[in-house]
Amino acid sequence: MGDTELELSPARLEELQKSPSTSSTSSTSSLSLPSSPSSGPRALTSSSPSTSEGLPTSSPTLDVISEGVGELSLVIDTEMAKKACQEVLQKVKFLKPDGEVSSATSEPVLVNGTAHPESTDGGKPPKITAEEPEPVKSVRRRQKNNSSKQSWLLRLFESKLFDISMAISYLYNSKEPGVQAYIGNRLFSFRNEEVDFYLPQLLNMYIHMDEDVGDAIKPYVVHRCRQSINFSLQCAWLLGAYSSDMHISTQRYSRGTKLRKLILSDELKPSSQRIRREVPQPPPSCPPPLHHGQGMSEHSLSPSKRTHQRSKSDATVSISLSSNLKRTASNPKVETSQDEPVRLTPQREFIKSLMGIGKRLATLPTKEQKTQRLISELSLLNHKLPARVWLPTAAFDHHVVRVPHTQAVVLNSKDKAPYLIYVEVLECENFETSSIPVRIPETRIRSTRSVENLPDCGITPDQRASSFSTVPNYDNDDEAWSVDDIGELQVELPEIHTNSCDNISQFSVDSITSQESKEPIFIAAGDIRRRLSEQLAHTPTTFRKDPEDPSAVALKEPWEEKVRRIREGSPYGHLPNWRLLSVIVKCGDDLRQELLAYQVLKQLQIIWEQERVPLWIKPYKILVISSDSGMIEPVVNAVSIHQVKKQSQLLLLDYFRQEHGNYTTEEFLTAQRNFVQSCAGYCLICYLLQVKDRHNGNILLDSEGHIIHIDFGFILSSSPRNLGFETSAFKLTSEFVDVMGGLDGDMFNYYKMLMLQGLIAARKHMEKVIQIVEIMQQGSQLPCFHGSSTIRNLKERFHMNLTEEQLQVLVEQMVDASMRSITTKLYDGFQYLTNGIM
Amino acid sequence: MAQTEKKTGLLRRTSSSKKPLKEKVVLMYEEIFAKEDPTKNNPRFWDELFLMKVNLEYLEGKLESLDGDEVMKVKDNINSLFHHCVQALSEEHQIKVVNALQTLCALFRGVHQKNKSATGFDIINMLMGFDKAELRMKELMESLDSLLCGDGSESLKSLCLKLLLCLVTVTDNISQNTILEYVMINSIFEAILQILSDVSSRSQHGYDAVVLLALLVNYRKYESVNPYIVKLSIVDDEPTLDGMGMVIHHALTDYNRQYKDKEEENQGGFFSTLTSMVGSMFIADADEKLSVQTNEAILLALYEAVHLNRNFITVLAQSHPDIDMSATPAAPVPASPTTPLGTTPPSLDMMNNPELPLDPNLQTSNLLITFLKYSSIIMQDTKDEHRLNSARLCLIILTCIAEDQYADAFLHDDNMNFRVNLHRMPMRHRKKAADKNVPSRPLVCAVLDLMVEFIVTHMMKEFPMDLYVRCIQIIHKLICYQKKCRVRLHYTWRDFWSALINLLKFLLSNETILLAKHNIFQLALQVVNLFNMFITYGDTFLPTPSSYDELYYEIIRMHQVFDNLYCMVLRVSTNAGQWKEPASKVTHALVNVRAIINHFNPKIESYAAVNHISQLSEDQVLEVVRSNYDTLTLKLQDGLDQFERYSEQPKEAGFFKELVRSISLNVRKNVSLSTMSQDLLLKEFSSIS
Repeated sequence: MGDTELELSPARLEELQKSPSTSSTSSTSSLSLPSSPSSGPRALTSSSPSTSEGLPTSSPTLDVISEGVGELSLVIDTEMAKKACQEVLQKVKFLKPDGEVSSATSEPVLVNGTAHPESTDGGKPPKITAEEPEPVKSVRRRQKNNSSKQSWLLRLFESKLFDISMAISYLYNSKEPGVQAYIGNRLFSFRNEEVDFYLPQLLNMYIHMDEDVGDAIKPYVVHRCRQSINFSLQCAWLLGAYSSDMHISTQRYSRGTKLRKLILSDELKPSSQRIRREVPQPPPSCPPPLHHGQGMSEHSLSPSKRTHQRSKSDATVSISLSSNLKRTASNPKVETSQDEPVRLTPQREFIKSLMGIGKRLATLPTKEQKTQRLISELSLLNHKLPARVWLPTAAFDHHVVRVPHTQAVVLNSKDKAPYLIYVEVLECENFETSSIPVRIPETRIRSTRSVENLPDCGITPDQRASSFSTVPNYDNDDEAWSVDDIGELQVELPEIHTNSCDNISQFSVDSITSQESKEPIFIAAGDIRRRLSEQLAHTPTTFRKDPEDPSAVALKEPWEEKVRRIREGSPYGHLPNWRLLSVIVKCGDDLRQELLAYQVLKQLQIIWEQERVPLWIKPYKILVISSDSGMIEPVVNAVSIHQVKKQSQLLLLDYFRQEHGNYTTEEFLTAQRNFVQSCAGYCLICYLLQVKDRHNGNILLDSEGHIIHIDFGFILSSSPRNLGFETSAFKLTSEFVDVMGGLDGDMFNYYKMLMLQGLIAARKHMEKVIQIVEIMQQGSQLPCFHGSSTIRNLKERFHMNLTEEQLQVLVEQMVDASMRSITTKLYDGFQYLTNGIM
Repeated sequence: MAQTEKKTGLLRRTSSSKKPLKEKVVLMYEEIFAKEDPTKNNPRFWDELFLMKVNLEYLEGKLESLDGDEVMKVKDNINSLFHHCVQALSEEHQIKVVNALQTLCALFRGVHQKNKSATGFDIINMLMGFDKAELRMKELMESLDSLLCGDGSESLKSLCLKLLLCLVTVTDNISQNTILEYVMINSIFEAILQILSDVSSRSQHGYDAVVLLALLVNYRKYESVNPYIVKLSIVDDEPTLDGMGMVIHHALTDYNRQYKDKEEENQGGFFSTLTSMVGSMFIADADEKLSVQTNEAILLALYEAVHLNRNFITVLAQSHPDIDMSATPAAPVPASPTTPLGTTPPSLDMMNNPELPLDPNLQTSNLLITFLKYSSIIMQDTKDEHRLNSARLCLIILTCIAEDQYADAFLHDDNMNFRVNLHRMPMRHRKKAADKNVPSRPLVCAVLDLMVEFIVTHMMKEFPMDLYVRCIQIIHKLICYQKKCRVRLHYTWRDFWSALINLLKFLLSNETILLAKHNIFQLALQVVNLFNMFITYGDTFLPTPSSYDELYYEIIRMHQVFDNLYCMVLRVSTNAGQWKEPASKVTHALVNVRAIINHFNPKIESYAAVNHISQLSEDQVLEVVRSNYDTLTLKLQDGLDQFERYSEQPKEAGFFKELVRSISLNVRKNVSLSTMSQDLLLKEFSSIS
């Protein structure tokens, strides 16, 4: 077994891999199944089992599969999925025009390189292999060729080299419903995360390509939607966003809109008994089911009723919903009556309210007003938390428990109001099943007691009501106002203070309270004055507060510092699974291009890692919510070069020395290397994607010396206002070169070498990059796809035809041109004049 | 039903046309007061009674006119009436419920007015009968609770609250109202909370609910365990607390706005003549219309919430856009026919709007800011008793806030900046500051501003010593927090210092007059100790090194005040007398200030001599100060950053008792003013039934 795999020559594989379009077009006729082109996938959804009537042999197995999909196995059964794929391929075979069932040698087949024990089952229909004799008598010559070709294709699909990227590529390029259906099924066998990366592509194909592709993709999407709330919402958002370019009349009835409605109607639930098993509280005597042990044990800590009530009503910002709540926490009579929790609502409301805030902020004229409003709106939002809501940009499951509203900042933007919020979350096993954290009142900051011990968190309302007579009169004042209120405060002295100060200074920290010590203590006025100036001098380099640029201070603060500070001030800070996240909320901006750029960057990052080219880039996560709103994962510990220069009033090189030390120090050298590696990476990105609008406000500098380009609003075929600025391949100012150690330095040569290596590596995997972009062009009105030559030009920039020597020359030329390019400088000047960006 | 309806309608018309004819309802009342069981002749007597429009005047008057013996004779019938009132409350027929509620109101009031001297138990006996009292009251409270929490008519809810307010305020001293014992046992706290948590009911009944709660909390506060106190202290439901905050916020905002309108009106008319000459006149003028009394209840509610419930502190900082009521057209008569308490109802229609309004000109505000503005108005004039009480209560609330750690945290939060336009008393010697350009600062600056404003504006013969002491205590608490948490507030400390020094100066120059009434040494000690805080711990909370220099400059500049103070306290402390002890404390506290003066003055003089300058400039003095720190030794004083925590009992108990009495009287007066407009109610219910 497996020898058939090996027979597939590498060259052939390469061919198949590289040019799926050609191979599939050539195999068109053999695979086309005019009688029932969509029977495969439709049979899978089990909606119409009648279509499989013509295939008596396969029907029993198909039923199994359809059940698996319909009933939804919570665990994706990969075995099942593989089987499904095979079945479809077989069916493809069986449904030859003459309907003849081929008798073939039944050989065990390798799927993804692993032996498939089930496939040897006797009852299974035979497998078709490459060696299979010609089954049909009256076939034309071409068909024979094709059939062998098609089996090559099959082999490829079943080989372990077949990855998600190839699957997407075939799905896109193949015009063959059978192939498409096969890949649609094959999607089940990939890991979720792998497919998730291509979700925009999948959905864009679903919306804008023909029926067959759509039908191939739908079962997978539906299946995943049933599994995950997060996936459901992502799909709904993307479907909405990518449908928006359609004409309004067609959009309403389009497949994308329909699927979106289906998802949002919340009909795609996991099968109902499963849910029901989850919801009710198991009586304490009966042990929780094993596979849910984790979630359940957490459940039992808090009254589950309350949990679900919160998840339903509390995230909803509209107060109308909360008015359903007849009685408040102190009177639970009404709260107990409840219906099934709504799956998607809390998160949708959460996102909606964040967007609503953005919209309202945009109407305010000054930054100060915006900031105030933002803080007040967020503090209202806090009332609805904790809830079953999460930040989709995060890498782990969690529940949002609090938004430290005073930390939020409005970002710099001329007419929109993007803002950055920090979000406190509690990490959890699974945000869908883990219970929602119990709310802790704001005023309990710095309380070291654990949640369970908090006096009135633990008491149920009933207990409260019945036991009040035993509570001592609260007006004794020491009950209501614990005397150590302020005394309890943990004041953390700055490190320097304790080091540099003499014994006397301790007295200025704690006054002497003992009345007995009659020894007068003397202090020198000079010491007090000195300590004052010392302490002020020792505060770390922060940016000045600037009401016109409130984000600068917030972003400059080191992330760890911020996390520590917010944790200290948070009532949830003592919990071990407390985490801080941040997110930029954009309202009124189309993030679809950003998402595209993210995908390309991520792909290139993977390629460079694979090829061991030490280029450094930082793709930041993008969440598209609609065609004019979304969220961005902020880059932590980074401020824009504009802010750096404005605040420090230094040249970039001098700023590096201020932050990292002198030229020869280890820290400086590390920072410099980071700078070079990131610079090379982003220069390539800028060149390949034609990223424009590269002023200093759009380039960040992080605390380790990396630069990070943000704002991919102008890429590929679009550039700002088409003023003809920025003709250079990328932005390379003399300040940048200075940081790299000048034109003759080793680091500069290293920079150019990195660029060359990076370009060679990227060229090798060009197809992977191209397909990301190409698929998204379907049906898109995005400015980056303006014109007809976007993809061709993109391909050309990979210079497939050049030798490595020629490439080296090319890189040299580009660097040269960019440096000499006055347009870069001109553009900076232009930005300074128009937007005040340095 | 329809027939009876018609009948009542007919009756009313005829009764208005033919005066001498008695109303049917009056005839029925007479039957009740006629010793015999009214059902004897008419088995459906009670059913019919509650279909009839209540004649409050007659009923109350009749009850009042009866003397003790007569009442005892009709006791059975009155008990029966009470019993049937309570029963009628659970009737489906809304008219009956309305009439029963009003009848109860009249019963409570009538019985109390007659029997002011009678003990509570007698009254209970008279109304319900001893044996039945507990059961009847339980039924009554349960009915009221379900009416308040049900989905029924808003007017009914309003009437229920009226009845409760009426019941709570029938005695001058709330603690002597024995019937309230049953209200303690059968709590309606949850119903009040529910009204506050719901947006629509809050906007209609929030004011009454908050006042009711404030009064109930004060029932036998110091003698027994009041369940309302206990319950209020543990509420942690944000929407409810927030709702309560909103009601208070709106009541205060409303007052602030009215005051501002008044002020502008006055200034607009006689601009040039009025401003300087009769600046204080319009306050008196405004005073007539804008009685602070109406807000005493609201302030009391704010106090109880802040004092009892730690979770409420968050509500203070809860931002709401400042609702500029004047921008919205005069609100049409709200759906509810009765106005809350007959006073100016806070027009709460904005609260119906769940979305925050989008007017870009709105400044974001919160309860604390509104409260500070309100306080700044109240504190302008403390001459009459109600204003003085309100100002005192404002300062007590601020004391509680300044002691709370969470409140301090947000007061000092550098990210929460606000512009707070405090009202400043127009005074001859100062210009009306361009208060439109207040910078956006942390809230604590506004609190300090308010304190400084109070200090500089109340140095008068009728010296409000108590308020001054509270004021300085608040400042002290804030500075203790800053020291402890190393908050370096960018505040104009110089103005602050000079205000304090001026206060000392005033105490000195009016020593004899003031000493007759007050212990001025206590206040002087507090002020001097504030300076000691700055001198010895300035390194922990002053914003810049130069601000420390400025402190010295200010002390040196005003050294004469300190010299005189020292002479005075030294003189008093060497004489035997009641002030010996407190005065000598001030002497000790002055040691560092005197050290500074004695250290630097010679240095400055020699500097002047060396450089041949007669008058040193500020910079030159600062230069001398800076270069001579090292030879100055200060003495560390004990317990500068210790303070006595606020405690209501026993110190403030008397004040609150009087305050509650005043509120009770006011509420009672206003409830009776509100004619429970039957017509509107009938209109509403005729369509229902």
